[in-house]
Amino acid sequence: MSVEGAATPELPAPVVEALDAESLLGRHFYELLSVASPLALLGLWEASARLGVVDARFFPAPSGVAETFWSMARSGELWLHTEASLLRLLCGFLVGGIPALALGIAMGLSSLLRALVEPLIAATYPIPKSAIMPLLLLVFGLGEASKVAMVAIGVFFPVAMNAVTGVLEINRIYLDVGRNYRASRWQVFRTIALPGALPFIMTGIKLGVGLGLVLIAISEMLGAKSGLGYLIWNAWEILDVNAMYVGLFTIALLGFFFTHVLNVLERWLVPWKTR
Amino acid sequence: MSDAASGAPAKIRLRHLAKRFRSRPGMVTAIDDVSVEIAAGCFFMIVGPSGCGKTTLLRIIAGLEQPSAGSVEVLRRDRAKPVNSMIFQGDSIFPWMTVWDNAAYGLVLRGVARSQIREVVGHYLERTGLTRFADAYPHQLSGGMKQRVAIARAFANDPEILLMDEPFSALDEQNKTLLQQELLRIWEEHKKTVVFITHSVDEAVTLGDRIMIMTAQPGRAKAMIDVPFARPRSVLDLRADPRYGALVHRIWGDLREEVQRARAEAHQ
Repeated sequence: MSVEGAATPELPAPVVEALDAESLLGRHFYELLSVASPLALLGLWEASARLGVVDARFFPAPSGVAETFWSMARSGELWLHTEASLLRLLCGFLVGGIPALALGIAMGLSSLLRALVEPLIAATYPIPKSAIMPLLLLVFGLGEASKVAMVAIGVFFPVAMNAVTGVLEINRIYLDVGRNYRASRWQVFRTIALPGALPFIMTGIKLGVGLGLVLIAISEMLGAKSGLGYLIWNAWEILDVNAMYVGLFTIALLGFFFTHVLNVLERWLVPWKTR
Repeated sequence: MSDAASGAPAKIRLRHLAKRFRSRPGMVTAIDDVSVEIAAGCFFMIVGPSGCGKTTLLRIIAGLEQPSAGSVEVLRRDRAKPVNSMIFQGDSIFPWMTVWDNAAYGLVLRGVARSQIREVVGHYLERTGLTRFADAYPHQLSGGMKQRVAIARAFANDPEILLMDEPFSALDEQNKTLLQQELLRIWEEHKKTVVFITHSVDEAVTLGDRIMIMTAQPGRAKAMIDVPFARPRSVLDLRADPRYGALVHRIWGDLREEVQRARAEAHQ
């Protein structure tokens, strides 16, 4: 048997290359568009503020906000707040996301677990997360734990629910293949359920990160001494409108940045998904 | 040689197999009292009208479903090998794995040594003409190529018996003919016992050593026919053989009544 040729990695076939080149072109075009639209909005805003179309006391020109942004960035103040928020976001994301992923996939695989847990999720999901902030403050106090818990709860729902859907959407034939090849429970999880549900899980993670940003800002407005939410709240109290916009803008930037990073991550993790 | 009825020892024994489902009008009998012995090394075909329970029968042999009555016995020669590998109808290869990882699936699950996986998977990818596509993902492949991956995966797993559930039914005529020839060529290497389900009489005669014709629901064994053609076979030359047409005609005679009965029931 001569199998040496087959054992070494082969060059991708011409067909495959052509497909990749085509999708690469399309991808860059859409990336360009997604940068252009926020820039256009900023330009419009600047013009309106300068021409007095909008009240510059409430809607200061982006150039003025940029100036404040720059000085706060140079003094290190902005980074201090951003870092505090990011750290809470990360902790909350791990604390909420990992159990959500495990539970969601397990629920997708087990109809028993689904029957047990689904009503609980359905009942607790519609409760506005911001409405349980006082409860979290009672339980966890004014410190870091209440903020992390807030993000964790926010991230939990979209990740868990999308993981369940993701597993349920996996064609049954793949589970039959797993059984036919005598895959253990863990092997079914690792080789079928997790990769098969990954497109949905990524959607859940994206929603979770967005919701996490919303909730971190809210939770930092109550009893925090750092973070972007605190920055915004504090700016309101001292009526520093430019600083308030810096906070808002930084959150927007983070959202934009995370979306981009997660899209790249998704392309890397789910190379098999046709788009 | 069609030796199924004679010499070779039995590899698979089905005894009084039955499968009943609960359904809206009441209990439905999908399979009723199927008993058959399949000889070692036999390419065994099961032909029947749609809805005759042939897929259910295969899933019971595979252990994916439990029979309501009766037993399945596979006589094992090597305990280290898996009992069966199935080639499913339609797309069954994992879209999230490359061609290579798909073909290696069974071996990786069993924890086979990496060097052996490389050798075995490399061999079957070469035999199925997929070496060049080892790093490709299924969505980059045509239907025929995907089914080749499924074939490579099942053969690479090195089971005691191979089960095939209409693996070519979704392919066009030309691809089907090509894949039938390739399947026979690969099968010739080891001549493992195969149970192959089809609704195509031509496919049954082309591939099989022995053909079991099933009745319309409830599925029973209606007739058993030996195929006289020598191996290795050429799928194309076979069709020029006068016995080919005669055999197809004869099987159709047995099957026609069942197909009409299945149709009549479907129209009720």
